[in-house]
Amino acid sequence: MAAALSTPLGRTLARVALALIILAAWQYLPSANVRFWMSGPIEIVARLLVWLRDGSLWENVGATLFAMALGYAIGTATGIAIGLLLGLMPRLNRVLSPYIAALYAMPKIALAPLFVIVFGIGLESKVALVAITVFFLVLNATLDGVHNVDRDLTRALALMGATRLEVIRKVLIPATLPWIFTGMRIAVRYAFTNTLLAELIASNSGIGFMIEYYSGVFDATGTYAAILVLVIMSVGLTELLTLIETRLAHRGANR
Amino acid sequence: MPKGDMAGDMAGDMAGDMGGDLAPKIDLQGVGKRFVTREREVEALQPIDLAIQDHEFVALVGPSGCGKSTILNMIAGLLPPSAGVVSYDGAAIGGLNRAVGYMTQKDTLLPWRTAADNVRIALELKCRAMPWDEANERVAQMLTLVGLTGFEKHYPAELSGGMRKRVALARTLIYEPETLLMDEPFGALDAQLKLLMLDQLQDLTRQRRMTVVFVTHDLGEAITLADRVVVFSARPGRIRAIRPVALPRPRDVFRIRFTEDFAHLHESLWDELKDEVTRGTEV
Repeated sequence: MAAALSTPLGRTLARVALALIILAAWQYLPSANVRFWMSGPIEIVARLLVWLRDGSLWENVGATLFAMALGYAIGTATGIAIGLLLGLMPRLNRVLSPYIAALYAMPKIALAPLFVIVFGIGLESKVALVAITVFFLVLNATLDGVHNVDRDLTRALALMGATRLEVIRKVLIPATLPWIFTGMRIAVRYAFTNTLLAELIASNSGIGFMIEYYSGVFDATGTYAAILVLVIMSVGLTELLTLIETRLAHRGANR
Repeated sequence: MPKGDMAGDMAGDMAGDMGGDLAPKIDLQGVGKRFVTREREVEALQPIDLAIQDHEFVALVGPSGCGKSTILNMIAGLLPPSAGVVSYDGAAIGGLNRAVGYMTQKDTLLPWRTAADNVRIALELKCRAMPWDEANERVAQMLTLVGLTGFEKHYPAELSGGMRKRVALARTLIYEPETLLMDEPFGALDAQLKLLMLDQLQDLTRQRRMTVVFVTHDLGEAITLADRVVVFSARPGRIRAIRPVALPRPRDVFRIRFTEDFAHLHESLWDELKDEVTRGTEV
């Protein structure tokens, strides 16, 4: 038994068997009473097929991804720009740093209800929450990057006669890029989580909205189906990030 | 300024007492430096006077921590002196001195640029922008000169310490600064390669009539290259002796070490230096 598990084929068979046992138990063990709360695999798959056919699946997956991407893009762009700007203006940065630290430390999800008041229920409030979360992550990564630029490198270039702008372009930005990328990478997961949280709190579309909506009407099948979609999205996102990271690490190792 | 009659061959003979009627290129007057570190004040350099002439090659030798690098930093305008005035071309230095090329002890190569791209960087700046082809041609020449042909596309992390030093040297020489500050540029090189580099450096600096301030631990290196050798005492640094090197130019860097004049000079300089070195290690 133990020997069979050590081969790839054995492991795969064991995984499939485990899944089948759990699914079968889920499908056939619960009494009719419990079924109301737990639904069953066959019902869940059937529901997914219904959503696929009526288009509501893609509509909501699209809504979640669009809000996430838009918030991420806004947060990243502003985070990098303001990070570089503050990095180049150390005096202003010193004045602002306690405020930035306080806002960075605060769990941004607490702002979600506020955004609902300001922007209403819909795309805007989701985007606002994601953008502000991503903004502070990328801002801090960029500031860390600028602070960690080797002063000897910038001084060497200045001695050669480089203008301030040339020092920024040729030393500061390239030296800060790895830090910015790290911040952007971490921010992807936060963006995803916070899109979902925004949808769970108050929204009218998206996977988070589906979970919230179906649980609200005591439809266990719908809730589980939406969670299943979320699991698939998370795995997809993680795989995509891993792929990009290996690509980048590969390029880094090549130089 | 009468430059014509000061060609390299004569520099050695004139080095000792030159400058009576010429304004020095670099002038340190009563220049001292103190550093404050954690409530303790360290005197790195006692006030010194030193005048370096145009086109002169001056070597600074002395034990570690005697303020040699501090002097270079002050000439480059990276550090203000705590006392006295450092002037360049007759004007006190405030802020960066862009007339100098500075090869620091730590190579300041950009890790994301290849060797060739690092060497080219000075030619990419607006102040001396040139056509891409011309810049690349000069980069290739420079890399050949420092013996790095075939390593153009290597990143600094892929090069040995000695190779990085040579890239840094090429990067500094390529834009032909009128004054060269060098802080132990050849420390990481093996003996044979070091001689080759000394030979190239002598040719280049003479051809381009550069003023050079060269910091080294190696007396032989100093005598081989310099018009004058300045010996510093252990910390706090002050000038212990200044010796002109009256060896004719161009010097054969491979054989000059075996001449009698070289040996005499080496011995007399070593006499000055050895007490300081032992004192330096006791501290």
